[in-house]
Amino acid sequence: MRPRVILVLFLFPLLAQACATRPTYRPSSHGRSPVPPSPTSPQAPVPSVKPQASQPKPLTEEAKIKEQDLRERRPPVQEKADQSSGSGPSREAPSLPDDSSLIAKITPMTSPQRAASLRLTEEGRKLLDAGEYTKALARLERTISIDSTNPYSHYYLAKAHYHLGHYQESLNFLGVAESRLDGEPFWLAEVFALKGENFRALGFSQKADSSYSEALRLNSRNRAASEGLSRLRGERPPDYY
Amino acid sequence: MKKIRHKTLKFASLLLLLFLSTGIIVGAWYVKTVEQVVAVKFEGQKWQFPSKIYSDTSLLYVGMNLRTEELAEKLRRLGYHEVRQSPQARGEYRFLKRDGLLEIYLQDFAYPLEKFKGFPIQIALQRGTIAKMANRNTGEEHFSLELEPELITGLYNRIWEERRLVKLSDVPPLLVHAVLSIEDERFYRHRGIDPVAILRASWVNLRSGAVVQGGSTLTQQLMKNFFLDEGRTLQRKFKEALMALIAERKYSKEEILENYLNEIYLGQKGAQGIFGVWEASQFYFLKEPKELTVGEMALLAGLIRAPGRYSPYRSIELATQRRNVVLGKMLQEKILTRGQYEAAVREAIQRRELIKVANDAPFYVDFLRRELAENYSNEVLTAEGLKIFTSLDLHLQRLAERALADGLKRLEETYPYLRKRGEEDHLEGAIIVVKPQTGEIKAMVGGRDYQKSQFNRVFQARRQPGSTVKPFTYLGAFMYGSEEGGKKFTSATLVDDSPFTWSYEGQEWTPRNYKEEYFGTVTVRTALEKSLNSATVRIAREVGINKIRDLAYRLGIESSLPALPSLVLGGVEVTPLELATAFSTLANNGVRTHPLAVKQVMDQEGRALEKRDIRVERVISPQMAFMINHLLKGVLDRGTGYGARAQGFDRAAAGKTGTTNDLKDAWFAGYTPDLLAVVWVGFDNQTKLGLSGAQAALPIWTDFMKRATAGTPVTDFVPPPGIKMVNIDPLSGYLATSNCPRVILEAFIEGEEPSGYCPLHPAPFARLLREPIDLLSWILSPFLGK
Repeated sequence: MRPRVILVLFLFPLLAQACATRPTYRPSSHGRSPVPPSPTSPQAPVPSVKPQASQPKPLTEEAKIKEQDLRERRPPVQEKADQSSGSGPSREAPSLPDDSSLIAKITPMTSPQRAASLRLTEEGRKLLDAGEYTKALARLERTISIDSTNPYSHYYLAKAHYHLGHYQESLNFLGVAESRLDGEPFWLAEVFALKGENFRALGFSQKADSSYSEALRLNSRNRAASEGLSRLRGERPPDYY
Repeated sequence: MKKIRHKTLKFASLLLLLFLSTGIIVGAWYVKTVEQVVAVKFEGQKWQFPSKIYSDTSLLYVGMNLRTEELAEKLRRLGYHEVRQSPQARGEYRFLKRDGLLEIYLQDFAYPLEKFKGFPIQIALQRGTIAKMANRNTGEEHFSLELEPELITGLYNRIWEERRLVKLSDVPPLLVHAVLSIEDERFYRHRGIDPVAILRASWVNLRSGAVVQGGSTLTQQLMKNFFLDEGRTLQRKFKEALMALIAERKYSKEEILENYLNEIYLGQKGAQGIFGVWEASQFYFLKEPKELTVGEMALLAGLIRAPGRYSPYRSIELATQRRNVVLGKMLQEKILTRGQYEAAVREAIQRRELIKVANDAPFYVDFLRRELAENYSNEVLTAEGLKIFTSLDLHLQRLAERALADGLKRLEETYPYLRKRGEEDHLEGAIIVVKPQTGEIKAMVGGRDYQKSQFNRVFQARRQPGSTVKPFTYLGAFMYGSEEGGKKFTSATLVDDSPFTWSYEGQEWTPRNYKEEYFGTVTVRTALEKSLNSATVRIAREVGINKIRDLAYRLGIESSLPALPSLVLGGVEVTPLELATAFSTLANNGVRTHPLAVKQVMDQEGRALEKRDIRVERVISPQMAFMINHLLKGVLDRGTGYGARAQGFDRAAAGKTGTTNDLKDAWFAGYTPDLLAVVWVGFDNQTKLGLSGAQAALPIWTDFMKRATAGTPVTDFVPPPGIKMVNIDPLSGYLATSNCPRVILEAFIEGEEPSGYCPLHPAPFARLLREPIDLLSWILSPFLGK
């Protein structure tokens, strides 16, 4: 420790100058084993957010996760959205991806598994639109065995379960979809809107209200959330477009 | 005297009258009884339809890596036949290796929600992957394709009668005529028994001195099949004739004929008996009856007398001869014109190999029976022809069976003391294979030899898991940190691995390391990779037993776990199935799935009776799951699971060995992101195995996983947002410098990574001068901590 103190005195002027232009640390390449990029789902870059200090929390007796556990040590979505759009719900919705067809998400860079999974998800979506919920469910279940990281299949599985009246199952799938849709506000809004629908069906008005509100915060044009919220609050839905 | 004689005569007459009337009454009662028996059969359920168990379907998709040998094997198991010319009929395929083309004429299959109609598909391969798939008839491109499931077994009572009912109106008239001409040409002219035929048969038999011809009508044959045994006693013949007369009186010729065409035995496919013309036309020609040619119809009709002898699978020559006899009869009876006859005689019977695939997976089927028993009685399962669709992958099942059998045999060869010492003292093992994303149980081997022991160790054996449960403690440490003081744990946190005693609720417990080796101060990673008991128990003490126990439940353990320190080192009892569920949750980024074996059940009419859905539940955050997966990857790369690498398994995989203190149980639970397998080895009677999980279970796991993942896309665990990967010196737990001899890329929750540089291996001075902040950090690191 003593030589270091001497060094501090010796090199102090140098350090004072150099600190201003500090290059970022590059770990040594010696022995490095880089993490291969995801073959299936290149994750969208996420703004680095310092996690909240995690205090040990008591566990409930039941073997289920609690909401704070889910959010524990994870950059909260809200914070990120806030950073991009300022405080309060954004009136001008950001440029959102088109949800007309999942096939459009297939590019030459898409892995074969993801491409196959997206195509089957699209088939499932069409079956849902046609009201063939049971068939859609079976088709969509295939998609996660090909590519479990496909968040859209989880979302549509949740939708199928919702239509079949399996509200808790639907919420479970939405929980998975939500954790995989970071950086996609349009889809996150869809997830929260459907969460709202499920909570409403289960009779949890408070949770439904906050889910719809979160959906509208993420995408002010989310019709399902807007209508759901209006129904819930007994208001007339606003005019769109 | 005369009076006496008269009295005697009167008495005799009375007796005779009594006798006759009794005879008539008894006769009438007997006829009535027989009539009731016939009526019950005709009007009630005539046949028992075994339920059939199917494997999962297989999906082919564009861009998929296709191992053609595996696919060819699968097609064979599905009953497809390889042909040289382009496939023209369902169930044929051709592989043109030089052109990289695979042509399959897909078979029809009735799924629970939709019926699939087979069509010819052409699959273009490029460097081993599917480049394009298109319908050969329409040119329509397909991006994915589902191959029908494989039949595993039937659930039946005594014999497996495979039969699909067909209505008389759906049977081609020529086939009916072919059957009648060879079996009962006077069917429409007799009333159940045919005296002309009986006399003719008697004459032929008399002349030949043996029974070479029968005079039974088609109705008598039906009665015999319905009610009677094979014996040729006079009593049985009488009853058969009586029943035939009754049936003819009560029912129309068409009803009798339809029953006959559905009843007759026409061949054998392994354990399955082929009954009725619909099933036979599928079995011999892969066609529906209405698609048969005249020659094929005649062949089927000819089979009735002796299906084994005249089977084209056995002898083309004999089958052809017999077919021609039937065609001759049809010509003789003017059913065929001369032209039709000659064309039919010229038809060549295609030579086909009878593929008898033993698709059984008895342990898996037992597990299914248990699952099905919740909703279906055994009577329903064996008689109502349900179709049960499952998650089973027969390819993986075979690999698992082989890996276990070979592995246990190898162990006995290497360690002769393990060899069988008695019926109850036999080295045993179990494997369960799960797809973590869906919870589908893809394979299950519950023991070494089903014939000798049906005890399914995958779900019936509760054994101590040893160190396999240690990851729960580390997960607790990452999630909750220290119970008192709020200390956080990361993979780089230093922990003490020296002997110590834990006083818990008045009890003292001293955990001991394997072979009494202690490593001093080590990182959390090293503690888990080397499976150090002392360090792990210290961590557990800080986290709290209750939290670790609740985490184990949350991940998927269902057995009751005592909240005692011994839980940390696996001093509890669990099944391999539970461990597979818990580790699946980790492999699936914190999303728990429920074990899924039965997927759908369909009734005989094609109605979906039940669908069991994939069930998911996020129980831990993806960040926490990733941290544990990343830690457990080190077990294979450097730790107690390194044997897998030495055996040549080089994919990204995580896992944990398990050995109980008394060396009675050896475990390995390991997984890639897409496939998980848990292996247990031990003795049923708790005899000491004397081997660690790395020695006994890991080689079996590795052997299985190498084969199971061959040719599948290489995947790795993907860090979720909020995870930062940093190079760490494994000795100090600080950021690595260029002087650190070993560096490990470590995963941290963003913001929790160490900020100081390794004090054990400082960076060269010159470099520090170039990077002043590094220097400052290095200087201040002793004051700042990590």
